[in-house]
Amino acid sequence: MRYLLRRLALFVLALAVISAVVFLALRVLPGDIATIMAGLNSPPERVAALREQLGLDRPLIVQYGDWIGGLLRGDFGTTMLTGQPVASVVGARAQVTFPLIILGLAIAIAIGIPLGCASVLATSARARGVYQAVAIIGGAVPALWGGLILILLFARGSGLLPILPASGFPQGGWQEPAQALASLVLPALTVGIIVGASIMRYTRSALQSVASTGTIDMAMACGMARRQALIRVGLRLAMPQLVSVIGLTFAEMITGVMVIENLFALPGIGSGLVGDLGHRDLIAVQSELFMLAVFFLVIGLFVDLTHRALDPRLGEDDD
Amino acid sequence: MTDTPNNGTTTASATGAPRGFMRRAGVVIRTMWARGTGRFALIVLGAWILVSLVSLVWTPHSIWQTNGYHVWARPSADHWLGTDGTGADVFSWLMAGSRTNLLIVVLTVLFAAAFGLLLVAMLVSRHTALAHGSVVAIDALISIPTVLIALMLAVPLGASVTVIVLACGFGYGLNLARVARPSAMLAARSMYVESARANGASAPRVFFTHIVPNIMPVLIVQCSLSAGTAVLAEAGLTYLGVGVPSGVPSWGHSLSTSVRFINIYPLTVLWPGLIVTIAVVALNLFGDALREAADPLTNPRLRGADGRRHQ
Repeated sequence: MRYLLRRLALFVLALAVISAVVFLALRVLPGDIATIMAGLNSPPERVAALREQLGLDRPLIVQYGDWIGGLLRGDFGTTMLTGQPVASVVGARAQVTFPLIILGLAIAIAIGIPLGCASVLATSARARGVYQAVAIIGGAVPALWGGLILILLFARGSGLLPILPASGFPQGGWQEPAQALASLVLPALTVGIIVGASIMRYTRSALQSVASTGTIDMAMACGMARRQALIRVGLRLAMPQLVSVIGLTFAEMITGVMVIENLFALPGIGSGLVGDLGHRDLIAVQSELFMLAVFFLVIGLFVDLTHRALDPRLGEDDD
Repeated sequence: MTDTPNNGTTTASATGAPRGFMRRAGVVIRTMWARGTGRFALIVLGAWILVSLVSLVWTPHSIWQTNGYHVWARPSADHWLGTDGTGADVFSWLMAGSRTNLLIVVLTVLFAAAFGLLLVAMLVSRHTALAHGSVVAIDALISIPTVLIALMLAVPLGASVTVIVLACGFGYGLNLARVARPSAMLAARSMYVESARANGASAPRVFFTHIVPNIMPVLIVQCSLSAGTAVLAEAGLTYLGVGVPSGVPSWGHSLSTSVRFINIYPLTVLWPGLIVTIAVVALNLFGDALREAADPLTNPRLRGADGRRHQ
């Protein structure tokens, strides 16, 4: 209970700190926000008008309070280009990004955990070497390049085995489920293979650290085969650790997801954020950065609490 | 680390343990060379440094030499990997890019190690409020992805090497502190730290002579992983337009350019990514090999001739 309270208090504190950091990063550091948004060679009157329109001439603390007040009411501001509310724009983009992340993570887990178990179970030195090489090389591939290779192999038009579309989410979105899903397969596969290599390494080291405690030997002494002992006892004991690191790979994954969204021309959160940054739509960028940061803080909180729930050995006052 | 006469190594010369930084470094490198993975890492990193140095004085073509009549050309004897959209030589850009990446890796690792050590110092500090506060702060902040920090920094700073170094260094420093915490705590609670404190050693002295050597293996591995991830982050961030600015050669720049080749000459797409992958693999292997070769516990050649630890 004490841990839960402390962790929740920290979550709120982190929210406050992140919001202040995002807010200040756009204002205090060199480069006037209105000048940047208006464009480099725009006349001073336009800059002044924009500054007044966005309320940038008010004191910082008032602007901050206004922004936070808006966030609490669910008002994330409007985009400069189209005037739509940021919340609905991000909502539309999330319909691409969340399925991509979930699909990618599912592929990664489906690849990583079995391969990780297999690499621990492997008995010959040669097999162990091969698994090790797969894990190291898979984790060293730049997301962009992985995507390019998959395009060269499987994309319609340029691939060796042209079976999948390389770009473009259908205009109708999920109203055309087959096309929408097909357009996500190559991107999700790219993300999944790269993250799968990390999960494979984590599974391997988690299983090995469980094995070093003698639990596996104990289970084998009770009559389990080595394979059975590793998978039924070892994997269960390694699970809390695995949930933590898979949670952390989430944060790692997002760079790849952003790159992949850009490469495959998917209208997702990552490519949208990069686009808004390119259009210098800083009010939208500010809210989007904050929403993403909140998303990851929530994941972090969820992972920490799940870790505790899965591992009853962690005491109440244990850090 | 050579001037710690208080733990019994004064007899080291008698038993033949190598003394002096250069000699120990020689032993470490020879041990790494003797193993396949270590040799691979040393060769790749050596070639990387060599190419970076050579590119300062010579590349097949000047990277600024453009030719409007010869854009997106296929590979030829003159342009080994073809030319890009301005008619500049792709191979020369790739060569020149290695020095930018080398700089980014070195700066990021230095920043991450310094920041990580600062956090570890806070974690083992005897002010309980500071120590507890930093544990929970690291737990919360570690879930913020590097790319978000980079995007935040890119708003005021624009695309620059500084953005990559600061964002990556911050994230990897947090990671380092989290991973190094268990061994640091173990050392901080040990009898020898207690006795050092009883002898009046200051907190910085205890930290650098007792705690840092204990987390050295973790530190080496984490730094090498960070170095590899920094290369990957550079590629991703540069492609997203918040990393290395356009006009500065880097592997990420070459990789982003290579996207355009996919419909012209697909084989060209392979090279920049292959170089990045090989470099990242080498950096990861380097850390493992260095940890094994530099630790007297695992490398008998760093101990006395009798191969026994002094008690």
